[in-house]
Amino acid sequence: MRKKILRSVLSTGLACSVAFSLVACGGAATDTDSQSVSDPEEREKVSITLGRQTTANPKFPEGDNYEDNAYIRMAEEELNIDITDAFEAESGDDYNRQVSLALSAGEIPDMMKVASKDEVRELYENDLIMDLTKYYDEYASDYVKELYDSFEGRALENVTFDGMMMAIPATASDPGTSMCWIRQDWVDGLGLEVDGDGDRCLTVDEVREIAKAFMTGNPENAENPVGMAFDISLTSQGSDGTNSINAIAYSVGAYPRHWYTDESGQLIYGSTTEQMKEALSIVRGLFEEGIVDEQLGTRTWDDITSLLTNGQTGVVFGSWHIADWLLNNVYTLNNNAVFTPYAVVSSEGKVNCTHSNSTGEFVVVSKKCKHPELAIMILNLFYDDMVNSDELLEKYPEVNDYLNTGVDGTARPFNIEVKSNTYLLDEYSKLKAALNGTGTKEDIPTAEEKSNYDAITAYNNGTGDVTGWCKIHSRTKGVDLLSYLTDKGLYNWVTPIYPETTNTMETNWANLQTLEEESFIKIVTGAVDIDEGFDTFVKDWKAQGGDTIASEITEQVTNN
Amino acid sequence: MIDNKSLGSRVRLSVIYLLVIILGLLCLMPLINIVAISFSGSAAVTANRVGLVPVDFTLMAYERILEDGQFWRSFAISVARVLIALIINLLLVIPMAYAMTRTKDEFRFRDIYMNLLIFAMLFNGGMIPTYIVVKNLHLLNTIWALILPGAVPIFSVILMMNFFRGLPAALEEAAYIDGASPLQVLLKVVVPCSKPSIATIALFSIVGSWNDFFGGLIYIQKVEKYPIMTYIQSLSINLQELVNGAANSSTLQNVSELSNRNLNAAKIVVAVIPLLMIYPFLQRYLIGGMVMGAVKE
Amino acid sequence: MRKKYYHFFVIPGMLFLLVFNYIPMLGLIMAFQDFVPAKGLTGSEFVGLQHFVYMFNLPDIGRVIRNTIVISLGKIIIGMLLAIAFAILLNEIRQKFLKSSIQTIVYLPHFLSWVVLAAVAVNLFNLNGLVNSILTGFGLERINFLGDNNVFRKFIIGTDVWKEFGYNSVVYLAAITGIDAGLHEAAAIDGAGWWRRILHVTLPGMLPIIMLMTAMNLTTILSAGFDQIYNLYSPMVYESGDVLDTYVYRIGLVGRQYSFGTAVGLLRSVIGMALMVSANKLTHSLTGQRIY
Repeated sequence: MRKKILRSVLSTGLACSVAFSLVACGGAATDTDSQSVSDPEEREKVSITLGRQTTANPKFPEGDNYEDNAYIRMAEEELNIDITDAFEAESGDDYNRQVSLALSAGEIPDMMKVASKDEVRELYENDLIMDLTKYYDEYASDYVKELYDSFEGRALENVTFDGMMMAIPATASDPGTSMCWIRQDWVDGLGLEVDGDGDRCLTVDEVREIAKAFMTGNPENAENPVGMAFDISLTSQGSDGTNSINAIAYSVGAYPRHWYTDESGQLIYGSTTEQMKEALSIVRGLFEEGIVDEQLGTRTWDDITSLLTNGQTGVVFGSWHIADWLLNNVYTLNNNAVFTPYAVVSSEGKVNCTHSNSTGEFVVVSKKCKHPELAIMILNLFYDDMVNSDELLEKYPEVNDYLNTGVDGTARPFNIEVKSNTYLLDEYSKLKAALNGTGTKEDIPTAEEKSNYDAITAYNNGTGDVTGWCKIHSRTKGVDLLSYLTDKGLYNWVTPIYPETTNTMETNWANLQTLEEESFIKIVTGAVDIDEGFDTFVKDWKAQGGDTIASEITEQVTNN
Repeated sequence: MIDNKSLGSRVRLSVIYLLVIILGLLCLMPLINIVAISFSGSAAVTANRVGLVPVDFTLMAYERILEDGQFWRSFAISVARVLIALIINLLLVIPMAYAMTRTKDEFRFRDIYMNLLIFAMLFNGGMIPTYIVVKNLHLLNTIWALILPGAVPIFSVILMMNFFRGLPAALEEAAYIDGASPLQVLLKVVVPCSKPSIATIALFSIVGSWNDFFGGLIYIQKVEKYPIMTYIQSLSINLQELVNGAANSSTLQNVSELSNRNLNAAKIVVAVIPLLMIYPFLQRYLIGGMVMGAVKE
Repeated sequence: MRKKYYHFFVIPGMLFLLVFNYIPMLGLIMAFQDFVPAKGLTGSEFVGLQHFVYMFNLPDIGRVIRNTIVISLGKIIIGMLLAIAFAILLNEIRQKFLKSSIQTIVYLPHFLSWVVLAAVAVNLFNLNGLVNSILTGFGLERINFLGDNNVFRKFIIGTDVWKEFGYNSVVYLAAITGIDAGLHEAAAIDGAGWWRRILHVTLPGMLPIIMLMTAMNLTTILSAGFDQIYNLYSPMVYESGDVLDTYVYRIGLVGRQYSFGTAVGLLRSVIGMALMVSANKLTHSLTGQRIY
């Protein structure tokens, strides 16, 4: 009896281990054929798998999806490949989980996007990703190489480990300053004078006077006119922060949420500086005067948008592109609305601005991938050919439709942007030339900018269409201001350090951010004394992990 | 009952009624709120003006759901999953539970199997090894990945076993004496007598399959194949976080369309409707079954 | 002949358990390895108990265990008290229609997924939600239910009690109806008022079931409710809301520390099983019933 039980237990155990070794080994790569032939014309069709980052609202035409859409069909046709998705997930936790699950089985897709340098490093250390150096040198088009070179080495340095290029970096060009958008129709109606010297720059004091004049003038007879409003988080990581006090802070040399080194090489966190205190005291002054409304600290983006659409406020800070997605709401409700953007300058008359993190996203290629050169070819196809070759778009009219109807960029095989650091200004200069007659529509390089051209000319011909209004504001006013600042040499650039997430950041950063936001709100609304409040914040911030993080980052910087 | 004529007892009774009604309303109000939001205009929703009654009544959210292909795909996947899982669960659980009611004399391995069941209920290998097995069986991204890992709900086996034990033994014995096989006894005698308890485990299976979101998060790697609860879960986004990290204006336009709270509310309401449809049965069988299970002598 | 037959009843289900429960258990080996996915279970280096030692030197783990136990105990104690009280109150309701309507309503949340209820809760309780705008309407400070470490645990316990108290009251209600009516009458004749009858007849009559439920609930003390917390928490409240299951998920899966995550999960399973086995013994000796 007992023997039999023992035997059955043993055999069950054996069955288990056999079964497990079977399933566990199923995934191992079998090294089969072939010296890879890289010319798409000459070789057999190749299958590649991708890890895809998605968005909840990609705006596909009916019938298309992530695996089968115009971009994918073009890549499959042009490169003689067959693309399947190993996984699709929205960015953030969902995507990280899929990467992790794939990794746990020891198998990453042939190519996938990763969202942090930490991950690239980990994949490199686990020996799972391919050295792309020679493929990049051999296959990348001159144009693509130029794009990366426009970042003066910052882009490629980021993906170089022990002298090897381990990933294709995305680029993020500088979004420029956070502008002060002012209701021009109100200015005209009230007979105010703004920017008398015509340098398209204002000091904080000048902004204050306009906001005050708007409140007293109250051109739309709103119930509760508000001078200006800010989002509850006050500052923003992006230099162009919308609904933030960034413009005011930068004008006094404070760079909240940024790490950078001072002249002595000391690492500094911008939110803890004396300049930041000065910036907060300026906003506190605005609050005390009643120009920033008393609901500061509860305002959200939605609220501020309704302040604008209700005609309660006519001054808003934000990026060059807010006309496309925020100010458009104002125009929809009130066709008389016109905005003019101004830069906010320091006492030296300069516009302080921070360079953005040139590479925050990457595409890596699996070590097991048979045709790593395809990654570079996809790169060429989407970031060179599709931008520069009209024939390609004529061959694939559905791709052109995608560009025109704004199908989300996640539909492309790699959801990254690879553009030159100055693409925004370069493209705009062509658009401007076409609009003022010194160039033609055909000279405009990108489909997106061409459709902007069409929208603007249509609006100018009297259609009054909201898209035209948006593009006039975002391009011929917003980007125009950025290009003006660049041309006149008005920028004072700061190059921050964008650290990899440190151990202490992982656990404490969220709380430190909360501490920062709450302390700043208390200071600005006068709930605490400014000197005492700010000193307490700096002390708490340091004690709750800020100092540790700073030393971790210093170590990181010296090691790299 | 006995002294309920006195003033004191009347006051007491009123207080009791009041308390019970308040508790009932507390349970209901959040659910009414979400229904009201789904029928309200988005401006009113954003301004928090919607309580228990729709403000600026509109069916727009529901009209938009009708056109939402992904929503209905996920809905259909969940319906299919519930039905297939139900059949598989019943086919596996009922015979197993019946075999577990046998004594050691009738079925020598009964205790070994029982211990294997209990151990599998209390102990598991964790998410990642299970994922690797599912992956190597090539079940990822199929409806089977959602169904098969939970094909044998052990809790239901135990519940069913206890139900079967409660049946009068004489019925079965008579059938066996007539020369029926165990399968015939199970199908002809035991199952017909156990309809309420089978309904109970069936409902457990339905509710569990419909409400599960985590299986979809792990085993389904393409949004278009998400079951409904995983899909609903993926709707909850952190607007501010997305905006702070967003690079281009088209992403931001997407975000402003997504922050549509009344649309999401409507999706939630529709996703709950199937459960509300079987709720009368849930109340009859699950709650009845729970009482049976817990207070039997 | 008949005896062999029963194997066919059991084997199909057992095959599924073998594949989806028992085979994955071999993966627990990675808790004792420095698991490198590329090398697999067979190739990774064994490190003994290193991960367990590391675990107990990590400040996180104390926080996570404390959160788990505080949240579970809160849910169990408050949930049981409210369910018992509600059952006693509901038993006094004599109007059939009202009674069954209330029952229908309070049982409903139990059957809804946390995915749905979390969305409802976030809608109501976020910083700009209805509850906070009511608070500010009364001139009170807003409460950051979802983001304040002093509030979040209470919020989690509160919403769980809200979801489950109705359904949990079912067994207590059944126990009350099972009490011999003669006892009540005898007590009433002795001049006992309502309160005294609750204290001396109803509650003692419910005691066996209360003890059984306590034992059963205590076995779940290490699972503070993954579905609920996963759908409601954020980095801001890890300090107060991170529990064992969410921690294992985040560190072991999203954070890709496979071995460490497995080690924590294994420890959790072992303790959970020990609790279950002892609760089973305890209830068996107390009530003559087994949980399984």
